[in-house]
Amino acid sequence: MISASMILIGFLQALVILAVAPLFSGFSRVMRAKMHNRRGPSLLQNYRDLAKLMKRQEVIPENATWTFRAAPFVTVVSMLLVAAIIPIFTAQSPFSWVGDLILVVYLYALSRFFFSLSGLDTGSTFGGIGARRELLVSALVEPVILLVLFVMALLAGSTNLGTISTKVATGVIPFYTSVWLGMLAFAFASFVEMGKLPFDLAEAEQELQEGPLTEYSGRSLALMKWGIYMKQLLLVSLFLAVFLPFGSVNLISPGLPLLLSIPVAVVVFFLKVIAFYFIVAVLENAMARVRFLKASAITWTALGAAIMSFVFYLANV
Amino acid sequence: MDAIQLLLLSMALFGVSAFFSLLLNGFHRAARMTSGLLGTAASIVGLVAAIRAATGSPSPLVVPALLPFGQFVLQMDGLSTLMVGMICLLGIAVSFYSISYLGQYSNRNLGVLCFFINLFIALMLLVVTIDNAFYFLIFWEMMTLASYFLVTFESEKKESVQAGFLYMLIAHAGGALIMLSFFIFFLATGSFDFATFRQADLTPVLRSLVFLLAFIGFGAKAGMVPLHVWMPSTYAAAPSNASALMASVMKKTAIYGILRVCVDFLGTPVLWWGLLVVLLGALSAVLGVFYALTERDLKRILAYSSIENVGIILLGIGTGMIGMATNQPAVTLLGFLAALYHALNHSFFKGLLFLCAGSVDYRLHTRNLNELGGLGKLMPWTGLSFLVGALAVSAIPPFNGFISEWFTYQAFFTASSGHDFIVRASMPLSAALLALAGTLAAMVAIKMYGAFAGPVRSEKVGQAIEVPGSMLSGMAFLAIGCIFLGLGAPLVTPYLAQVVTSTLGGSPQSVASGLWVYPLNYGQALLSPPLTAILLLGLLIVPVILVVIYRGYRAGRRIVNDPWACGYGYSSKMSITANNFNQPITVTFPGIYKLRTAIVERLVVVGTWSKQVRETITRIEPILENIVRQPTTRTVEYISQHIQVLQMGDIRVYCLYIVLTLVILLIAIIR
Repeated sequence: MISASMILIGFLQALVILAVAPLFSGFSRVMRAKMHNRRGPSLLQNYRDLAKLMKRQEVIPENATWTFRAAPFVTVVSMLLVAAIIPIFTAQSPFSWVGDLILVVYLYALSRFFFSLSGLDTGSTFGGIGARRELLVSALVEPVILLVLFVMALLAGSTNLGTISTKVATGVIPFYTSVWLGMLAFAFASFVEMGKLPFDLAEAEQELQEGPLTEYSGRSLALMKWGIYMKQLLLVSLFLAVFLPFGSVNLISPGLPLLLSIPVAVVVFFLKVIAFYFIVAVLENAMARVRFLKASAITWTALGAAIMSFVFYLANV
Repeated sequence: MDAIQLLLLSMALFGVSAFFSLLLNGFHRAARMTSGLLGTAASIVGLVAAIRAATGSPSPLVVPALLPFGQFVLQMDGLSTLMVGMICLLGIAVSFYSISYLGQYSNRNLGVLCFFINLFIALMLLVVTIDNAFYFLIFWEMMTLASYFLVTFESEKKESVQAGFLYMLIAHAGGALIMLSFFIFFLATGSFDFATFRQADLTPVLRSLVFLLAFIGFGAKAGMVPLHVWMPSTYAAAPSNASALMASVMKKTAIYGILRVCVDFLGTPVLWWGLLVVLLGALSAVLGVFYALTERDLKRILAYSSIENVGIILLGIGTGMIGMATNQPAVTLLGFLAALYHALNHSFFKGLLFLCAGSVDYRLHTRNLNELGGLGKLMPWTGLSFLVGALAVSAIPPFNGFISEWFTYQAFFTASSGHDFIVRASMPLSAALLALAGTLAAMVAIKMYGAFAGPVRSEKVGQAIEVPGSMLSGMAFLAIGCIFLGLGAPLVTPYLAQVVTSTLGGSPQSVASGLWVYPLNYGQALLSPPLTAILLLGLLIVPVILVVIYRGYRAGRRIVNDPWACGYGYSSKMSITANNFNQPITVTFPGIYKLRTAIVERLVVVGTWSKQVRETITRIEPILENIVRQPTTRTVEYISQHIQVLQMGDIRVYCLYIVLTLVILLIAIIR
């Protein structure tokens, strides 16, 4: 259950995600610029932004209490733990001894809780509106995510993410119709949760001055942004771990020696993420913002797909 | 002394406490000190009794028949012991809290209030330990009466009286159903003893009838959805210490009743019973939290949130019953375990939240979230306690609410692996609904925490200061309990599993070892609440190192007055209030709320009366309330008006009644 190598892999995984999250976010910025026919920033611009913000003085409104200051730390910490639990480079979940997929879903809720709270805490109008948007979006998307994951867990016979990942990777769970539908629903739900353009609602830059981020500055803003980059990357990772775990290292029966296979798995993972971000970037730039209160009209389709996936699971196809 | 004797001692202490506080009615300070300290002592004694009973197996106390309705038996089996422990833990917190809290009522009959609170706790202890249907009903009704007087304590307020009336109405209707179900048992066994009820040989139709009667009767008291209408007004009307007790433990006596009758007495249930319980549980969980969102009175929100949590408990109970019906001991164990765990957790965090709401009320005499804000700086410890309660109620790991919901999910999961199609179809959908309820509960919690966050909205609020020590310690006790029940899950679950297997069913199996809890086999799932907490705290070092590497701390921080308001002068009116916080939800789920369009029309007409209009536009009434409550109250009013004809107030007419009765009786006897 617990082995030293698993613990090591888990921590390394969390640190790698921390390190590369701004890179992928930078990639989507570059993609956006290219599609607008702009030259755009460098791929590393996000790192420079974060470094600069870290050194800047922090300005805090008088109303804010300690929850406002704690929120960036809570966001980063909960995402680090999620990064250690999701099977990203390995087919097994490195921190499976901490919790299962339900814990992962509720760790997202932990970061969301403090994110929304920070929006209210300053008394800023934009923060408050962003907070309530964040919560509505989660109410629309969360049942979808949980239902899809639940169906996958039922197919695998376990709510351990590693078990699901291993069974999909080794073909024990073939791509039934229900898996395809679940994949569709989950991809859509993670896209909405990522807050990319048609659903850029809670941190809407042009509309709400980035919602709860409005009042953040200096190192708090840096950490908060870093946490959001991680959250986006981890949503993609969770999707890949459950539905497309091919290429990750199966620790129980590794084909190649670990020192060789892990770098391969890392490269394969990066390629998959780049492909996902590419699709996201195309979608993001091809669409206009959805009106916030109309968002539910679209997310119902995701719920529909999730329920269809469940029905097909019941019918064993 | 053995457990039962200690329990009797505890009840006696409550009695003494009640008696003396009534005696000291004129001396407010003395009355509330006596009641608070003696009540705390009595609760501690009761807790010791529960611990004794949990470690040994106490023999029941039997008083030979005083009345022709069977023996007066007090027993403490696993389930009763758990309930006693729960009541006493809450008793400690609430009694101690009340010492200062009741100070605000010093111009009233404080002694009477203390009398009823102590009596109320003692009666709850009797209800959960008595082993005879006749006495159970008596104590049950007395408990309802005691709480009725707590609800109508501020009897000059119209709302209190109305709330009390509605409460009595539904509680008595429920009580009547429970009575009927016991009566069916009595007809079958010829005895009122619970022990014989277990051997009752009922036909399938009668069994289902008993189940329905008891489930609906107790469900009314627990506040499950079609019968929940009394709760918001009742909890809002009662003093906060009383509503804390009512929401956290009195509700659980109803849960106890459901488990006792529907599972313990009736034995293996029929599948549709379990499905019905799950259905009503899911309805309560989702609708309760939706309605909670649109309220703005802190205590009304908490009441609706209690409806949600009863729903979650019922989901566990229903799943356990399905497990029994389909002969899956693992599902039985997990379902009931989840239900009991959530019942325990709910009593802690809901008690805590009610006490915090009481603290706000104590300082500011308002619970309207639209007026509140910024209390986090003025009342930091109350704010912190409230945050713990809010995190627990939103099922955020590693707090206690999460652990019991995790077990509920695992019970669903294990049940879905079975063979019965309806069960396989309903369980994952229930899980999705639970997820929905969970996210909305977080929204409700954040909305409530809005009282502590954001700007101070009025001068009156700005003058609030932290509450006295006794209130703080009452809240701190429950907050620490919430954290312990979360992190200490590996210690708590084996005990609860043993309660389930000893009194309800399911095979004794391991659910925890070391730092972990798991649903019977750890291949299915594994959770380590303490490690989650340790890792969350330990990983803090990463962002701290990041800050240190970039020397972010050097630049320091500057506190400015106002948040950004696009260059205009900031006003606290710009910040988001409780009313507009839930607007997206009301718009997105219009089927669940019926906006009163008429009020919107009035908005156009009455421009000058903007204050009144603002008041009314926020009144978004739950549909069920309109359907259920208004017709019931109207019918009752109608009937009582017509019964009034009999009571003319003329002594001669009454004499005529007496004579008529005598004549009828005489004729009856002569014949």
